[in-house]
Amino acid sequence: MSDVEFIHDAVSRVLADTVTLASIQEAENRKVPIRLFDALADTGIFLMLAPEEYGGVNANLSAALSVLRASGAAAAPGPVLETILAQRLLTQAGLDPTGGLSTLVFAQPLDGPAPGATFWAAPPPFHEVPWGGLAKHFLVVWDSGTGVRLVVSDCSAWRAVPGADEAGEPRDTLQGENIPVTCSLLSGASYDELLRTAALLRAGQLLGAIEWTFNCSVGYAMERKQFGREIGKFQAVQHMLAELADHTLASAAITMAAAERCTDTMVAAARSRVADAADAAISIGHQVHGAIGFSREYALNYRTRRLMAWRNDYGSVFYWRHRLGAQFQNLSRDAFWPAVADAGLSSLPTR
Amino acid sequence: VNATTLRLELPTLPPAADELRREVRSFIAEQRADGRLPPPTKVGLGFSAEMTQRIAARGWIGITWPSQYGGQARSALERYVVTEELLAAAVPVGAHWVADRQSGPVLLKFGSEEQKRDYLPRIAAGQCFFCIGMSEPQSGSDLASLRMRAERIDGGWKLNGHKIWTTNAHRAHYIIVLARSSPAESSRHAGLTQFIVDLKSTGVTVNPIVGMPGEHDFNEVLLTDVVVADSAMIGTEGNGWNQVSAELAYERSGPERWLSSFRLLSELIDALDQQARPASLEELGRLLSHLLSLRQLSLSVAGMIERGLTPNVEAAIVKDLGTKFEQEVVRVVRDIVSVEHLTCHGREERLRKLLVHAQLWAPAFTIRGGTNEILRGIIAKGIGLG
Repeated sequence: MSDVEFIHDAVSRVLADTVTLASIQEAENRKVPIRLFDALADTGIFLMLAPEEYGGVNANLSAALSVLRASGAAAAPGPVLETILAQRLLTQAGLDPTGGLSTLVFAQPLDGPAPGATFWAAPPPFHEVPWGGLAKHFLVVWDSGTGVRLVVSDCSAWRAVPGADEAGEPRDTLQGENIPVTCSLLSGASYDELLRTAALLRAGQLLGAIEWTFNCSVGYAMERKQFGREIGKFQAVQHMLAELADHTLASAAITMAAAERCTDTMVAAARSRVADAADAAISIGHQVHGAIGFSREYALNYRTRRLMAWRNDYGSVFYWRHRLGAQFQNLSRDAFWPAVADAGLSSLPTR
Repeated sequence: VNATTLRLELPTLPPAADELRREVRSFIAEQRADGRLPPPTKVGLGFSAEMTQRIAARGWIGITWPSQYGGQARSALERYVVTEELLAAAVPVGAHWVADRQSGPVLLKFGSEEQKRDYLPRIAAGQCFFCIGMSEPQSGSDLASLRMRAERIDGGWKLNGHKIWTTNAHRAHYIIVLARSSPAESSRHAGLTQFIVDLKSTGVTVNPIVGMPGEHDFNEVLLTDVVVADSAMIGTEGNGWNQVSAELAYERSGPERWLSSFRLLSELIDALDQQARPASLEELGRLLSHLLSLRQLSLSVAGMIERGLTPNVEAAIVKDLGTKFEQEVVRVVRDIVSVEHLTCHGREERLRKLLVHAQLWAPAFTIRGGTNEILRGIIAKGIGLG
């Protein structure tokens, strides 16, 4: 078994054993899911994108996508994506990965610390930082205009104003002055490329939650009886679930292809397509489940609320759609099709 | 994905397909340079016996068939590449479309050696066009209820009945007629048989049906005591349902199921300028994301078919999604054209004509080749319901 397969197996086991309704609910009371994160750390998931010389696996994006898909399906709480990506960013900046609970933001502030600076005198406030007040490390990926910088600090050095997203997970505002930081140049990386990676991995979590909702809704329709038969026997219900099958398969196709060929076009397409699928999963999933899906005691809402919370992360749906449209806007009639065909994954991908 | 294992495999095309794609693109560029491929003002496959001849000369009709029948024995994925390139460029392929996609393959799979040697090389040479004789006035989605009668006579069969919605019957050479050759006893799918009928035969009447766009593409075909020889029967007597099912599978997941209105999108992009509003670009981006997803999905199905799998549910998903996408393109382009004032004061006359024509055709996208209601039934069954 390869390292990547080992991690995927181990993560699936941890998610099955550790993520329960009770543990998800705890995270909604601003409790760090310590047990889950300790168990996940043991699988090697957090270092999977880090290079081997830092103790990582140097896995490709498809492998990372598949574990985040599993975490999304399980509605795993906590900054899983952020902690995985943070370790890779630290190593890209030449720093040692800490493996600790991390959060991050992408920012384009006007002013910030220079490479090598040890203090950030007057940072802007950072809003809606996932687990900002409770994580250990806070990374700002800063597009300075002259290269990308990684500004690393301890979350505890900031004043956190608590907030929460639709899933009830913390999204805090971090503010402060004279924050001790490590500021490094992220050489060999572009801001857009890093944002793309985060956006793709979030698409993986969204896809996992969509697939879970689809499977759960089909299962429910085959069990729940009304008028003396399973509701899945009614054509109206069948057609709703067929529509959700359409959305689910199409978003899986584009998201997996975007992981193989992580271009601006493909990631933008994945995020846009998955957003429509998420909306369909929310409306159809709940329509099929009827009243029971609305209960906090029933598992569906934990996926529904994460679909709502994650939809606009790392570039809003509007941002990605606009970006995609703008890429094709100036093409001539005859250049349009070749651009579409060549953007997609049709030949063997180059790795 | 799951729900009792919907299958998805990322497409990979063989290197030969890349070379073929380049050849098709340079063919298209030549046609444009010679003025044979003006920017379109209509949607639809288009019918040009002349263009079909030129495509045949390149060996791109019946490209997957064995060489002894005029083909090139290339893979289904290579045919896919040719098809998507030609359709996206609005090359008129309607004359050979049915024969290349389904009549030929059905003959290859079920036909006699004599039929294969007679028809396939002529189809591949672009000389012989087919149409589909399935629908009847009282048998649309419920095809097995058809009333066309085939009666055994000395040395052959006598056909009587009424086919409808027959595209190109007025300019094709042959129709493959599905008829009831014996009463539906054991099952309603039993007792159906396929026959090749020459449209010039005595007793065949072709009447035009003008569709909503105001054009003559469809026909009704009346058969009155039409006599065909035994050699006109395809495959096995009574096996028509299975043969037709195989034929319909070819119809479901190809690029023609999501490219029908693509040329409208090309025209819009050609007309859009730097001043386009952010909301227009957002809507355009959304359409593009659906287009790119559909193509991945459609290629995934093509790859599975090539490897001998039968991804019927996934193919139904492609057609359900693809045809709805085709309609959505028309709506979104209409709205962007309006908000951007693209066709005001006589500007973009071609775009305006194309948009009018596309709107008139759009309702048909989700009906032809199996309605979306039927497709959703197939999908529901495939995911374990029903």
